[in-house]
Amino acid sequence: MGILKLENVGYRYKDAPKDKYVFQNINYEFEQGKMYAIKGKSGSGKTTLLSLITGLERCTEGNVIYNGKDLKKMNLDKYRNTDIGVVFQSYNLLPRLTAIENIILSMDISKVKVKNKKQKALELMKNVGLSEEHAKRKILKLSGGEQQRIAIARSLSYNPNIIIADEPTGNLDKDTENEILKIFAHLAKDENKCIVIVTHSQNVCDNVDIIYELNKTE
Amino acid sequence: MYILKNSLVSIIRNKGRNILIGIIILVIACASTVTLAIRNTASTLVKNYEEAHDIIATISFNRKELASNFKGGEDAKKENIETFNNIESITLENVKNYGQSEYLKGYYYTYSTSLNSDTITKATDTYEYEVEDRQTTTNSTTTTTGGNGGNQGRGPGGGERHTVTNNETTTVITKSKEKFESSKNLTGDFQLDGYSSYDAMTDFVQGNYKVTDGEMISNFDTFECVVSSELATLNEITVGSTITLKNPNTETTYDFTVTGIYTDNQESDDSNSMFSKSANTIITGSGIIEKLVQEDSTLVTNITPSFIVNDENAIEDFSNQLKEKGLNEYYTINTNLDELKNATKSIENVKTFATTFLIITLIISAIVLLVINMINIRERKYEIGVFRTIGMSKLKLAIQFILELLIVSAVMLCIGAILGSYLSKPIGNMLLQNEIDSSQMQEEEISDNFGKGRTNGNEP
Repeated sequence: MGILKLENVGYRYKDAPKDKYVFQNINYEFEQGKMYAIKGKSGSGKTTLLSLITGLERCTEGNVIYNGKDLKKMNLDKYRNTDIGVVFQSYNLLPRLTAIENIILSMDISKVKVKNKKQKALELMKNVGLSEEHAKRKILKLSGGEQQRIAIARSLSYNPNIIIADEPTGNLDKDTENEILKIFAHLAKDENKCIVIVTHSQNVCDNVDIIYELNKTE
Repeated sequence: MYILKNSLVSIIRNKGRNILIGIIILVIACASTVTLAIRNTASTLVKNYEEAHDIIATISFNRKELASNFKGGEDAKKENIETFNNIESITLENVKNYGQSEYLKGYYYTYSTSLNSDTITKATDTYEYEVEDRQTTTNSTTTTTGGNGGNQGRGPGGGERHTVTNNETTTVITKSKEKFESSKNLTGDFQLDGYSSYDAMTDFVQGNYKVTDGEMISNFDTFECVVSSELATLNEITVGSTITLKNPNTETTYDFTVTGIYTDNQESDDSNSMFSKSANTIITGSGIIEKLVQEDSTLVTNITPSFIVNDENAIEDFSNQLKEKGLNEYYTINTNLDELKNATKSIENVKTFATTFLIITLIISAIVLLVINMINIRERKYEIGVFRTIGMSKLKLAIQFILELLIVSAVMLCIGAILGSYLSKPIGNMLLQNEIDSSQMQEEEISDNFGKGRTNGNEP
């Protein structure tokens, strides 16, 4: 049974006409230990669907079910800082903090019980291929690939079951994209995470287990 | 805990924004402290003035009321005068009765009478001298001695007649007194003003009179007095001298020890006399006048009471109470309230200005801070988004932002308050120096006007 299910999900902007949906009748199921790709053309609603999965938006129709529970009935803050990790194309890191501080802040918010948060953060950074030297740097002193690795490390800081990534390799070169995909593959296979990647990169689609294609509603 | 840590990190790493907010808060704190200090100083000055200057109610004759009842015609003159005579004067008993009121802090009075003296000459511009008229006749043997009735040598035209017998001639010597006076005569004898307290000595408090030699009487019940410099010069009276005054009715004499000599500082009065009005006024305690009246109840006296009213609101109640106690309708209650209010008006203006300035500063600052914080939140939209994405609740986010503002505000308010307290003294002094100086000078002057005799308390 999937850890995350989308049942007849539809979404329409609040100010849009009643019949003008971004998408409708979406029925996807996601399981732990697998990598998924949601692909589609620009404007097809990939990022919107991601917002519904992460609980940043509420769906107009249908239900998003996490671990058998409807998101509408869940504490979404707790859901976001415990059960789901999000990685963005633009990394969404706090530039005034250092790399390690971004990870520790995420642990603080999630209230994860870790004895030595700094040590744990360094371990996570090591897992995504970053050294202790990177830890002390401010975010803007890191390259795009390094920033994305920090974003992945941050999303793993509270050990969530699902990692949602919105165009995680969109700003990265081919080699870095492959390295990031390796990290995701490792997380899915070795750490039993459910990886959902929103993308329109064929290379990403070639490396995932299941692809969902989102078509623009006419 | 992480919220506080995050707030501190945010403050330290967003220096520009926080310095801007800090400067605004510093200016607000500084201006507010200075304004509050000025306001408090002004309030203290007003309070001190009000404490030092009581609301005094006095009873005065309502001549207007009497005039409204005047009748016309030749026959009405007597009736009008009778009406006036029928208005009872205020007695010491009345004053003591009126003084027993819950609306008063206390009361004092000036109790006056007039006495004569054989030993000292009053300051007057009338000069009397003796003249001798000799008339010689022949072949007369005897002449009768004796004057013309009760005017023995005293009034104009009076004199003593002596008979001189001469075998051949008789010389009749007629002694008489002639008067040389200014066209505007000073009337009356020595006025003895008996004060019940130092506060009652308003001429000394206001600086009209000043003890220039010796000191003010130290006891209100002993035969001590302070005389005018004019009377002292004319009669060669010095501090420590004894003067003898005489009851005009009973001829009883009273010896007064002179404790001080005062000068009338009033540049002019409305008379054309060569002496001041106060020249024959002798200052003593009210207890002495009471003793004199006890001995001779026919002694003509005059009493001027002053009542220290609790506060502004008590004036009307006290006035009504006096009417209930039987104060004649021809008397009216007056107070120095307007005078007191005028005296503190400039300080009140500074206080009002300070309050208005403070309110305007706070309103403008509140608007500026609100705008800056709105801009700040807009600028931090990305940061808010990141926090929300990683699961920070809106409440915690709001707490963090408020905490940041509070920390900056608290630090800058402290600095501003310290800075303001240093600035408030010179600025406050600059604005209120005249009032502070005049207040201090007034105290010193009053003390000086009484010589060394006045103690801190009202009673000696």
